[in-house]
Amino acid sequence: MRPARPLSYSVTARQVVPHFLGEHDHPWLRMLLEEHARFIGRPRRELEARLRQPLPGETPPRKLELATQVLDRIQHSRPTAAVPPRQARALVFIEAARMPASRETVLGKVANSLGVTAADLNDALFADLPGERLVGAPSSPLSAAELALRSNLALVQALLFRATAVTVEIEGNTRLLVRHAKWRGLICTIAERSGTTAATLEISGPFALFRNTRLYGRALGELVPLLAWCPRFRLRAACDFEGRRLALQLGTGDPIFPAAAPRQYDSQLEERFARDFRRRAPHWDVLREPEPIAADNDTLIFPDFALQHRSDPTRRWLLEIVGFWTPDYLARKLEQYRKARIANLVLCIDERRNCADADLPPGALVVRFRRRLDPAAVLRVLG
Amino acid sequence: MKLRFDRGTILLTGPPERPDLAGAPGVVWDARVGAHRTPAIRYPALKRWLVEGKIPFQDIAPPLRPAGADWSSVVDLRPYQEAALAAWELGHRRGVIALPTGSGKTRLALAALQRTCLSALCLVPTRVLVDQWLREIGTVHRGPVGCYGDGVRQLHPLTVATFESAYRHMAHLGDRFDLLIVDEVHHFGGGLRDEALEMAIAGTRLGLTATPPRGAAATRLDELVGPTLFELTVADLAGGFLASFDVITLHLDLSPEERTTYSGLRGVFQSVHGEFRRTAPGATWLDFTVHAARTPEGRRALAAWRQMGRLVTFTHAKRRALAALLERHRLSRVLIFTADNETAYAIARLHLVMPLTCDIGRRERAAVLEQFRLGHLRTLVSARVLNEGLDVPDADVAVIVGGTLGEREHVQRVGRLLRPSEGKRAMVYELVTRHTIEVGQARRRRQGLAARAPAQL
Repeated sequence: MRPARPLSYSVTARQVVPHFLGEHDHPWLRMLLEEHARFIGRPRRELEARLRQPLPGETPPRKLELATQVLDRIQHSRPTAAVPPRQARALVFIEAARMPASRETVLGKVANSLGVTAADLNDALFADLPGERLVGAPSSPLSAAELALRSNLALVQALLFRATAVTVEIEGNTRLLVRHAKWRGLICTIAERSGTTAATLEISGPFALFRNTRLYGRALGELVPLLAWCPRFRLRAACDFEGRRLALQLGTGDPIFPAAAPRQYDSQLEERFARDFRRRAPHWDVLREPEPIAADNDTLIFPDFALQHRSDPTRRWLLEIVGFWTPDYLARKLEQYRKARIANLVLCIDERRNCADADLPPGALVVRFRRRLDPAAVLRVLG
Repeated sequence: MKLRFDRGTILLTGPPERPDLAGAPGVVWDARVGAHRTPAIRYPALKRWLVEGKIPFQDIAPPLRPAGADWSSVVDLRPYQEAALAAWELGHRRGVIALPTGSGKTRLALAALQRTCLSALCLVPTRVLVDQWLREIGTVHRGPVGCYGDGVRQLHPLTVATFESAYRHMAHLGDRFDLLIVDEVHHFGGGLRDEALEMAIAGTRLGLTATPPRGAAATRLDELVGPTLFELTVADLAGGFLASFDVITLHLDLSPEERTTYSGLRGVFQSVHGEFRRTAPGATWLDFTVHAARTPEGRRALAAWRQMGRLVTFTHAKRRALAALLERHRLSRVLIFTADNETAYAIARLHLVMPLTCDIGRRERAAVLEQFRLGHLRTLVSARVLNEGLDVPDADVAVIVGGTLGEREHVQRVGRLLRPSEGKRAMVYELVTRHTIEVGQARRRRQGLAARAPAQL
């Protein structure tokens, strides 16, 4: 378990305000990176000893400690030795226990048997241990700005470690967020609908009713880098700071390092349909991942597309492509759609799925396809 | 009504015969999923409440039990171990047993496993201890034994897991076991690991430790595992079931240069600490660190305090004393305990003795302990790894060069020497630097070796 990280924040009016690293921190972050670069190829303990001393100029201590830890996590250190260190230890220490001789004699004797110098053998003894590993460069060049963003992410995640529940108003990429939340064992519910494309999600762990748990707090923190890919979001978290309930707010534009770019489409079938439909129907907008819909208490449905006519706002359809699914999954999916009672649904079903008409949600428009979904067929059912 | 284990909680779904669940233990309405919910740890109490109230319910699937025929031999216990197990039985199989290091706590756990015949999850602090427990269980149990930790995920009715794995996976494993055995249970009761114990349904729980916590941690541990039901200390068993031992404290001086440096650092520290003590007489050390971290002078004082600690960890006098002791006990099995890994490595380099630290991998550690058992290695140096749990082969001399964790650490370290053998008398050397922070540290840590007789039963 990671030790508690020093956190830079203040509390005002029951709000936790993270002290983000910004441009004003870049000068000392650059110095930190320069110091780090200076120690590349040298043992980590030397770098650690250097960083225990102050950097030139004013450096906020908590921010410095956080940035140092973040930097430490993304750099790669490597061992280097003339003899595998484990072998060196096994031979040297057993020999030292066996013969009552001086240190030099023992090292010399073992070094001779291995065909290396005593100095090399001495260096090899602990070359694989963390402090002796050589400082390496980060896997890709790191700027002060990126280090600041990464540190901010670590700061926010450490604060959310104390969170019991978060409310996220979100526009776009909702599916990604919900999928990750469910994968981490969190419960997602739609709190309310706000506007046409935004959704308000409440996300919490099963234990949230009783108290904060770090297990689910960590899972909530993992959602933060995904939010950067939402065109607009606002997150409010209820946190427990040693018995004090405090709120943490984050929003679009907060300087936080994003997750890797999510894939826009789940399959080639979807991607091809979106491209073909846009070409075929220039008067329609194709919206990837529209707002989620609640099917029941613990289930959200994410239609694949919304089709919106540009000159007639009343002509808006949600479109779901039922592609290569297992029969069980298909049955569950159709049941969810039946429960949700969506008025403007187009279901595009692969003919090979063998869906009976009775299984389909009442009122849904159905387009059956084989291999490729024809935009003309969809336009025909839209009328 | 149907009970279902859901990610560390129990979910009560379906309409209850009697809609009023307000009095049910720990149960609250969860509007997120439209059902009632309670933490898994409350499952035994909830089940009792439902049965006593004659409320029909569909229970969760009971955990699979190990086959009785898999036990290959009966686990024999010493009289005090029998007494401890009896205390646990009388305590409704829920509570903590405190016995000194080397007195056979694992053996006691094996007896509990065998006599209860329940599905059990044994929680241990480290990966090395997982291996050790798997070996121990294998001596009396022929059936498969599961393992969670170090990237392995094997589930069986008897499973051993590290604390860390339990913390990560209990939300999925919490309904698979009737019995939880928690080795070194003093690690629970005040931290985030407690969550693992809250997410398990097991109503039968046994905590093992050499040093039961006191105060708030004990109260919390009572909720999670149960009260301390039986307690014996080193002094209660030394000379009989444990080897006798002598503690020799060597009072050493700082060199003139070290004293000058130490005094300078002490001055920096005292200027801030003294002022703080005057303004806040009842404040704790934690209060001081929080206060000091806010100002540059305070941070300098804290840095000076840390440097004072580093300075006394391995002074010139300690180096000389250690060299003399190693020479004197050249033919003995010696354990050297240090305050930190840095000092352990310094000693390892200087005297060519094997360090056993958290940085040394699992396989190498096992190989090192085997070499120590065979007598090919005679001295090991460690900061914390040897403190607890590890079944260290018979050692007869300990040199305590430094330590910062107080009474608990000291009891565990001394316990490493107490495996009894014919005519054995163990020696513990404490190296303490005069007129430094070490004097108080040494005084405090010795309190843990005092007898707590009579044993509680």
